Amino acid sequence: MSATVKQATAVSLNGISRSFGDRGIIADLDLEIGAGEFVALLGASGCGKSTLLRIVAGLDAEVTGEVVVARRRAVSFQAPRLLPWKRVWRNVVLGVPGAGRAEALAALGEVMLEHRAGAWPATLSGGEAQRAALARALVRQPDLLLLDEPFGALDALTRITAQQLVADLWAKHAPAVLLVTHDVDEALRLADRALVMAEGRIVHDVAVSLPRPRTLESSGYVGLRRELLAQLGVTE
Amino acid sequence: MTSLTRLDPVAVPLAQDPSTDISPAPAVPRPGVVATTLGAAIEVERLDHGRRRRLWVPRPLSRLLGVALALGAWQLASSTGSLSPTVVGSPRAVWNAAVHLISDGELGSALASSLHRVLLGLVFGLAAGIGLALVSGLSRIGEDIVDAPVQMLRTVPFVGLVPLLIVWLGVGETPKVVLIALAACFPIYLNLSGGIRSVDPALVEAGRTLGLSRLGIVRHVVLPSALPQLLVGLRLSLGIAWLALVFAEQISATSGLGYLMSTAQELLQTDTIVVCLVVYALLGLTVDLVVRALERLLLSWRPRAVGV
Ligand SMILES: Nc1ncnc2c1ncn2[C@@H]1O[C@H](COP(=O)(O)OP(=O)(O)OP(=O)(O)O)[C@@H](O)[C@H]1O
Ligand SMILES: [Mg+2]
Repeated sequence: MSATVKQATAVSLNGISRSFGDRGIIADLDLEIGAGEFVALLGASGCGKSTLLRIVAGLDAEVTGEVVVARRRAVSFQAPRLLPWKRVWRNVVLGVPGAGRAEALAALGEVMLEHRAGAWPATLSGGEAQRAALARALVRQPDLLLLDEPFGALDALTRITAQQLVADLWAKHAPAVLLVTHDVDEALRLADRALVMAEGRIVHDVAVSLPRPRTLESSGYVGLRRELLAQLGVTE
Repeated sequence: MTSLTRLDPVAVPLAQDPSTDISPAPAVPRPGVVATTLGAAIEVERLDHGRRRRLWVPRPLSRLLGVALALGAWQLASSTGSLSPTVVGSPRAVWNAAVHLISDGELGSALASSLHRVLLGLVFGLAAGIGLALVSGLSRIGEDIVDAPVQMLRTVPFVGLVPLLIVWLGVGETPKVVLIALAACFPIYLNLSGGIRSVDPALVEAGRTLGLSRLGIVRHVVLPSALPQLLVGLRLSLGIAWLALVFAEQISATSGLGYLMSTAQELLQTDTIVVCLVVYALLGLTVDLVVRALERLLLSWRPRAVGV
């Protein structure tokens, strides 16, 4: 049974652990994300970021510990995972009761993809497919948006546009966001808080209190960037 | 305020998430390793995309060409006498036999009763195959109960069942329909249940995050993903149904194409036998065309296959 309560946190994880076989990947991890807060999750490859995201998404059956998350949540995976046999707009509103073409077109318009509404997913470019997946997440009006390297497959230029898009959509709809990324600049551009994960826990929790919109020239940016990189084991 | 849910474990097949891949670093040319052959002549080729595809004859015509060549060779062999009429008549003789069989209605009525049997057998066979595949593909316990026996039965050659069917069901229509149904049941079962089981777990997971119910996932994710395999199974089942028909009509039939062939055999009318074989071939071809059209209609979402 899932008990429903109301509170001002979108995610609260209490002492959760997860292992694959005898390899502990997440060990006694705690995490709180406030409603409407934008949190970026960084960490070395294989440290368990996607595992954590799947736990928060409610897709992990074997996690131990207390997991309390927003009921209305939406996920966008690194691979867009569109259903190839449904046209783009049908993919967008699949599973949303009462939503039809109009709602799909509105959501696709927000990611500037209206003109591809009637296309088969197999004919989309990589960036278009990821934007479609984003529209599919947004149309659910989530209180919690989970993004697992959503721009991983994009080229540097498209990536900047897509980041701007996410920043705008977040400002407009104000969901809590957990963004898994490898890109320190992406974290600094978008997030209120940047988390660094290592050895199964959150080892650093850095508030990013720069005024928006943020650029490389924002004062304090370079310092934060160096700090995060150092915590990820990179020195410049 | 946000409404929150306490998550409870739900059975989800664990899949390796493709998003765990590390994004590849772009290849950067190492400074200092400058191409030393700058300006040297290298081999180039002009790519002729357009010309490769175009054939010198339209496709349907080139297909007919093969048939025409075979017919020509056959006629040549017959008229030079190297193919004796007791083995098989000339194309002309077969044509005459066909005209005769059609004009006296013999072929028509044989075809009608054969088609009737095949259709009846297919309805039962496909229904059983699809039903069993759904049970075994969609539930673990269903798989345990259904799959093993079906896999065992599958290895029994269905022709070997003919004597048993005659003992059980006599020599009327029933054993014939049952034989066709049995034969048609397995290919569609194997393909559909295999198709259901090979659904991409990542898409099932996506379906779950979209808030689809179990039934919704079956309907929107699992079944559409199994559809291509279902159509392959359908094609095989239809093909084997004709085969089963030929065998079934050897069971003391008094009508149908098989009956026409066995009486022709007794009277040594090879021409009639050939006519029946041609009819079988045409029927098979028609069925194939229908399934292909169905595939084009139902699988239009698939990117066009690239021809080699
Ligand atoms: N289903 C699974 N079975 C066994 N091991 C798994 C499974 N899923 C993940 N792992 C292991 O758990 C570890 C963490 O995986 P995870 O996908 O969470 O890494 P990640 O931090 O997202 O890495 P990346 O940044 O490369 O995406 C990895 O070592 C991985 O091999
Ligand atoms: Mg990952």
